[in-house]
Order: sequence, then structure tokens, then C-alpha cells
Amino acid sequence: MVEGLVGVSILLPCIAGLLCFLIKSPGTRSAIIVTTGAILTISALMLFNIGPCTYTPHTILGIDVNLLITVADFALLFIILGIAFKLGNPLVVILTLLQIVPLAYFELKMAPHVEVSPAFYIDRLALIMNLIISIVGSLICIFGIRYMEEHEHHLHLKKSRQPRFFFFLVLFLGAMNGLVFSNNLLWLYFFWEVTTFCSFMLIGHDRTEIAIRNATRALWMNMTGGVAFVAAIIAIYYKTNSVEYLSLQTLINHSPELTGFLLLPFALLCFAGFTKSAQVPFQSWLCGAMVAPTPVSALLHSSTMVKAGVYLVVRLAPGFQGTYLSTMVATFGAFTFLTASALAVNMSNGKKILAYSTIANLGLIIACAGINTPAAIIAAVLLIIFHAVSKGLLFLCVGTIEHAIGSRDIEDMRGLYNSMPAVSRITIIGILTMMLPPFGALMSKWMAIEAAANIPWVVVMVALGSGLTVLFWARWAGLFVSGPQLKQQEVKKESALKATLMTMFRGFYPNAKWKDPASIKVPLVLLAIGAIVLSMAVPWIYTILVEPVVSSYRPGLFVEPFKTGPFGLTSGVGAFYVLPVFIVSIIAYLLAVVASQKGGHRVISAPYMCGEHYPDPTQPKFRSHMNSWRDYLAGNVYLHEFIGEDKISYWINILSLIILIVMFGEVVR
Amino acid sequence: MNTVDVIAVLAAVFLSPLLGGLVAGIDRKVTARLQGRYGPPIFQPFYDVFKLFGKEKMVVNYWQIFCAYMYLAANILTVVLLALQSDLLLIFFVLAVGGVFLVIGALAAESPYSQVGAQRELIQMLTYEPLIILVFVGIFLETGSFKISQIVATYHQPLLISLPLLFVVLGYAIVIKLRKSPFDISTSHHAHQELVKGVMTEYSGPYLGVIEISHWYETVFILGLCALFWHTNYIWMSVLVVLTYFGEVLVDNITARLTWRWMLPHAWTGGLLMSFANYFWIYAKLK
Repeated sequence: MVEGLVGVSILLPCIAGLLCFLIKSPGTRSAIIVTTGAILTISALMLFNIGPCTYTPHTILGIDVNLLITVADFALLFIILGIAFKLGNPLVVILTLLQIVPLAYFELKMAPHVEVSPAFYIDRLALIMNLIISIVGSLICIFGIRYMEEHEHHLHLKKSRQPRFFFFLVLFLGAMNGLVFSNNLLWLYFFWEVTTFCSFMLIGHDRTEIAIRNATRALWMNMTGGVAFVAAIIAIYYKTNSVEYLSLQTLINHSPELTGFLLLPFALLCFAGFTKSAQVPFQSWLCGAMVAPTPVSALLHSSTMVKAGVYLVVRLAPGFQGTYLSTMVATFGAFTFLTASALAVNMSNGKKILAYSTIANLGLIIACAGINTPAAIIAAVLLIIFHAVSKGLLFLCVGTIEHAIGSRDIEDMRGLYNSMPAVSRITIIGILTMMLPPFGALMSKWMAIEAAANIPWVVVMVALGSGLTVLFWARWAGLFVSGPQLKQQEVKKESALKATLMTMFRGFYPNAKWKDPASIKVPLVLLAIGAIVLSMAVPWIYTILVEPVVSSYRPGLFVEPFKTGPFGLTSGVGAFYVLPVFIVSIIAYLLAVVASQKGGHRVISAPYMCGEHYPDPTQPKFRSHMNSWRDYLAGNVYLHEFIGEDKISYWINILSLIILIVMFGEVVR
Repeated sequence: MNTVDVIAVLAAVFLSPLLGGLVAGIDRKVTARLQGRYGPPIFQPFYDVFKLFGKEKMVVNYWQIFCAYMYLAANILTVVLLALQSDLLLIFFVLAVGGVFLVIGALAAESPYSQVGAQRELIQMLTYEPLIILVFVGIFLETGSFKISQIVATYHQPLLISLPLLFVVLGYAIVIKLRKSPFDISTSHHAHQELVKGVMTEYSGPYLGVIEISHWYETVFILGLCALFWHTNYIWMSVLVVLTYFGEVLVDNITARLTWRWMLPHAWTGGLLMSFANYFWIYAKLK
């Protein structure tokens, strides 16, 4: 059973991707994608139901799996080398060679035939990741079907390039599943490189000059991580003189006297994680990646690819608990959280806001891993879950809006509620679930702050960053509803309850229809519902998913940090009453809706302009000098003078490099 | 939930607006005296709100109504959680909900005054939120808990003695939170704002009344936070709260409005330095 499900999780996307590539009929391709998504979801749920397990495949179709992966690994590296030559980019060439040569030396000379058992170690953390990848990832792929159709329609392509696109998109899910299941570091490295390669191909998909440039940047930055990964593998072998430690589980649960020897490999692996998660100073590849079609941004850069990096760091965290490295990782993560949040405030491009906010949240996850108490690890895992759902949703929303209005600038989304109420409402839900209690993302942030409270400089950076996140989210949510009241509310004789329910689902304009096709509607609605329901279910999620993650970490060392009660979580230092707050919030929400829906005498006025108004209140004009009608527009404050991206990026990069150097300097010593 | 909790919740919901309104009345009276005027009666804020509720309902956008009520709900919940002696950070995050909805409500109206007011309100939130978190972290470092009930039960010494600098930081944050001069940047309760009434420009009649009542809850919450710094003795607690609030009123009256460009860097630098100084003190004591 386990064998079958693991096989489905990894191989089915590969086969489906190939089919997408070979079959040119759009109808069949859509059917393949939807079916694959459904099967992946079911398989992930079934696997979760089975619970933690291990599995070591020996042969596939009579071929030794170890050999197969080794060959595929080198094949992939040589393909990248070929691409590097084609791009004429010496940096990528060097970075690729820096992986090929040491890896060849390692595999042929130092330690031929590495056998790690179990090859797949599937614990709760891997199962959670598998659920996220399979469910959120599949929804994004389904969203991509219709999106890419429109996308190519906009581009006026003669020959559809969708087969290639979906090949990489679906293949990616398989690589990610392999990555989170792998216990053998060499296998993990292979899947790691596959995700790097897929993201390079997907970012450069549109083949514009800027797309290729940004894809190349993503490639070299991720290749730096790849080099660190290979170095870590060799360092582990060199320091312990045993292939045993190439098993992730052995590596983490090493005996205490080995900690000093293993700090360097841990630091190198964390560094690989930092590059993949686009932490500063590698943030530019993720921001550049936003040139790709939206499903790519949503899939690679919110719920999966970047999560691979934090997954690795969180996975390794118990291994370096209580060391100097741990403190440095916490510092580094908190620094990324603060600086990326500041940069997000500075952006008016919706996708870039999402990108920087993603980097910030990943930084917070890494900070939690560095704080390295059970409570902090729980915060990290919860943040991975909630961030994946809400951020995936927000990317899809921005993509939908972009197709409708032709812009991704938030200033252009002013008053969008009047023309696209449904999508706006879902976007607002996405934003609120990222920033406000009682939703899960904020709850994780609360846990993170409480866990960080013992390291003052970390908590200061988290506190400042947290203030910045409120600024850019609240502003964006407000812009959607900004604008004149377009038409009078139809006051029907309905019961208050019915009116409320209607408003909850259809907003203040019951007449506005949502015209998008089902493949766009379904992922949006499901993710929005998921974002809310998951938050409500936090106590149960905690018991089912998260607590076992931590208790499986270091048997014996674990002290249960939180207790689940009927009212949510309580810990030794604080309490978070999830359910009561949720219930009160819902009641407040309903009352507020009833209050604003209530009939009776009410005047819709034009805004105060300190002067005479244009007769049509929907037009923002007022009478100015010489009796002329003047437009007015108020824009957002982006704090350019304090934190302009061009001004501070340089310093951020320098400072983050210093933190990294300090981290490595002490570890090497 | 026991009887004490029920009474605490009821008191928080029903008595706080009375207390908050009264504080607003005294505030106005003291302000008037400081300015050499006679001033309105102490119950004037209540008369004002009653009058507002009798006025015609008028909005620019229905979202304003929704946001006004969400602002009220969040502020009531903040006070209730404080009365239940809940987790400090949780209370803080619920407080932020109110602020966010006030901003969204202001952004909903297309008037440039309320739009600019909303942007400024966001920057005010940006300024005071980290400061308040730093104060709470200091309380945690000193007492070992974020939970008020636990602090009250296990820590038997006024917090003010070990956290004097953080109390100053809190005072700083309060001036910004209550939008008192020199930080009445997003809106002002004096009638002399260059932005008309900033975030509140487009609110009138009953909805302005709702906002006004929410603000009373907010005031009570702030006073409650100050009270936490001398939780061991009710008399000294009252003295501390009264003195702090009088200090705020005094500052309000003797300073002129600053811009956010001054406020943000200065509040952050000063707040950070003082917080760190106080943290070091706590550590030094532990050693």
C-alpha cells in the first residue's frame, strides 16, 4: 500500500507531465491534469491516513533505483551545463562544474554504492508537506489550464507552448513529493536539482528577454545552493568517515559528541535552504520570477519550491539545537523577515508585494527553526501550512485580476469591488487570513513571537517586521473597497438571516455575476474556504498534525509546549483562545453585515471635497479655480524616502552577507 | 467560566463606555482649563453621542458602516480579553483588528481627506505596534509570562520598578495610539486639522457615534495597560493611571503637531534604545 502511494506521489506527476507534453489536444490535457490532481489528493489523504512509515524501493522495472537516480542526477547536471553554455553564462558553467566534479569524485572514488535504508522516511512533517503539495499544488495546476489559454490568447502565439509548460508544472509536483519523502541525502539532492531546473524552465517560459534574464538569475542563485549541498554531502562523509550519516534521520539524531563535527554540514545545508527559500541576499531571484505566468508564481513561489528550503531547515533544526549555528539561523531568519517586510511596504506591484511577503514569511519560519524550541518548531510548521494556502490563493487572485484589468499594480485595484465583487471579496479574505486574528497565519506569528521572546534582538526584528506587514496588507485590502457607492442597494423584504447569508456569499451587490469559468472559480473558492476552515480547526490540526511532528523529533527531549483544550491552545507562557475569538468574530461580522444591510432611511452622499462637487458622484471631480472641474486622486504612501528598494537593497545584501559570513566563520573555526 | 469571569465580561462590555466617556469628558475639561477656557460639562461626550445617534444616516459607501461596527466589535473584544486577564499578545493582535478596519473604512470613501488620513493612520499603527510588542516582551522577560492572570498571580511587585523605561515607551506609544498632539496626524479631536477630520472625515451621524464609543473602549484598554504596571495596590494603580493620563493631556496641549516623517524614525529609535536598555537591566538583575 505504502509503496503504491509513494510511487503514485512521485511517479504519477512525471508520467502525467510526459503525457501533457506529448498529447497536443487541449481537452485531453485538461482531463489529464484534473485527473492527476484528483489522484494525488486522494493518495496524499490515504498516505496521511496510514501515518508515518518508511519505504526503500530497490528496483523500478528491473533497474536499480540508486543507479537510476545517480545516472539521472548526472544527466540533469549535464543538461544544465549545456544550457549554461547556450546561455553563455560563465557563472552558471562554473557553478555546475563545481557540482559535477565533486559529485563524480564522491560517487566514483570516495563512496561508491551508497545504500541508505530507509530511502524514504515519511514522518508527519513529510506527510503534511505532501498534503500541501498535492492539494494546493493540484488546485494551482487546475487553475493554470484556463489561465494559460487566456495567457496565450493575449500573446497571440502561433503554436501553443502549453504542452511544455504543463510538463514542467506537473513534473514539479512529483519532484517536490520526492524531495519531502527522501531520507537519502543523495536522493534529496537529486530532487532538489530537479526543482531548480523546473523553476528555471518555467520562469523563462515566455522567452522574453527579461524572462530569460530572471530565469538565469534564479538558476545561478539556486545552483549556489546546489554547490553547498554537494559540499555538505562530502563534508559529512569526510568528517564522519561513514555513509551512515547520509541518512537524514541518522544525521539529525546523531550522538551529542558529533555535534561539533557536523556543524559545518548543517550550516551548508541551511545555506542551500536559504538560497532555495530566496532569503536575503538571494531575494532577487524570487522577485524576478514574477515575470512568469501566474500559476508558476503561485505554485513554485508560494506553496512548493520555496517551501523546500524551509522544509529542509525545519527538518534539520533538531540536529543543531542549542548550538551557535541555531542562534545565527534565528538571527538570519528574523533579519530576512524584517527587511523583506520593509521592501514589501515599498512595492505597488501586487505580485511583488506577494513575493516579498513570501520571503518575509519564509524568513519567519527559518527564524522559528533557529529558535529551535518545540513551540517554535510548531509555529514554523503551522506557518508553512497556513502560508501555503493563503498565499497560493492570493497569487491566483492577482492572476485573475490581472487578466481582467490588465494590471497588477495595487493602485489600479482601487474600487475593484464595484466591478469584480466576487474576486475582490476572495482576495480580501486571503489578505485578512494572512494578517488578522483569529486566522492561522497570525496565530503562528503569535507563537513565533512568544518563542522568540528570549532572544531580544530576534524578537525586536520580528516586532518591527510585524508592524510593517500590517501596513501593506491593510492598505491593499482597503483599496479594493475604495470608491463611490455605484448603485443603490435593493432593499428587498427578506429576513435578516437570509439577507445576512446572501451578503456573506454574494456581497453588497447581489446582482453582480461572477463570470469566470469553473477552472478558475473552483480553485479560488476552495482555497478561500480552506484558508478559513483550517484556521478554525487549529486546535485539531495541532493535535493531529503538528504535535506529533515535534514529538517525533527528538524522543525523550520533548516537552509538550502547548495543551489543546476546548478553547484552543494554552502554553506555559501564554494562551490563544482560538475558538471563542473565532465565534465572537463571526458574531461581530454577522452583526456588522446586518447593520450595513438594514433597510430604512439612509442617504448615500458624495465624499467631502471642501468645495463644489461634480454632479455625477461616481466621477471624482471638484470645482476648482476658474470654475474648472478638476480630478483628484489620493495615492498610497510607500515610504520611498526611508526604505526605497533601490536605496536599501544594497545595504540589506551587505548586512545579510555579514550575518552569513559570521555564521560560517564560527562554524568553520 | 466562573462567576468572576462573567462579571468581568459584563463590566468590560457595559461599564467601559461609561468610564471611557467620562474620561473623554474630563479630558476636555482639563484641556479647556489648560487653555484658559471654562470648558464643556463633564458629560458633554455623552450628550454629543446621543445627538449623533439622532441624526440622519449618511454614508459614502456601505463598507463604512460595516467597518465602523467591526472597529467597535474589535475594541469591545480587546477590553473583554483584558478583563479576562488573557494573553497580552493576543489582546494586542485583536486591538490591531480594530485599527485595520478603521483604516479600511476610511479608504472606502474616495475623499482625499479620508484617504490621506487612512495612510497616516497606517503609519501611526506602524509606529506604535512594535513599541507595544517590545513592552510586552519586556513584561515577559521580567515575569516569565505573557498571560495577565499568571503575571498577577505569580509576580508580587509593581512592574514599574523593574520596567521604568518600558513604561516611558508605553507612554510614547499611547500618545500615538490615542492620536493626541504632537501625533494627532491621522485625525484630531481638536478642530484644527489640515486634513479636516482625517480618517473620520466621511463618518457622520450614528456611525460617527459608533466610532466615538469604540474610541472610549480603546481609552479604557489603554488605561488598563497602564494599570498593569502597578497591579499590586489599587490606590497606587489609580494614582499611576491618573498621572499617566494627565501627562498625556498635558503633552497634548503643550505640543504642536509633528509630521509622520519625524514621528516614525524618532519613535522607533527612542523606543528601541529604551527597550534594549531596560532588557539589559533585566538581564543584569538575573545574573
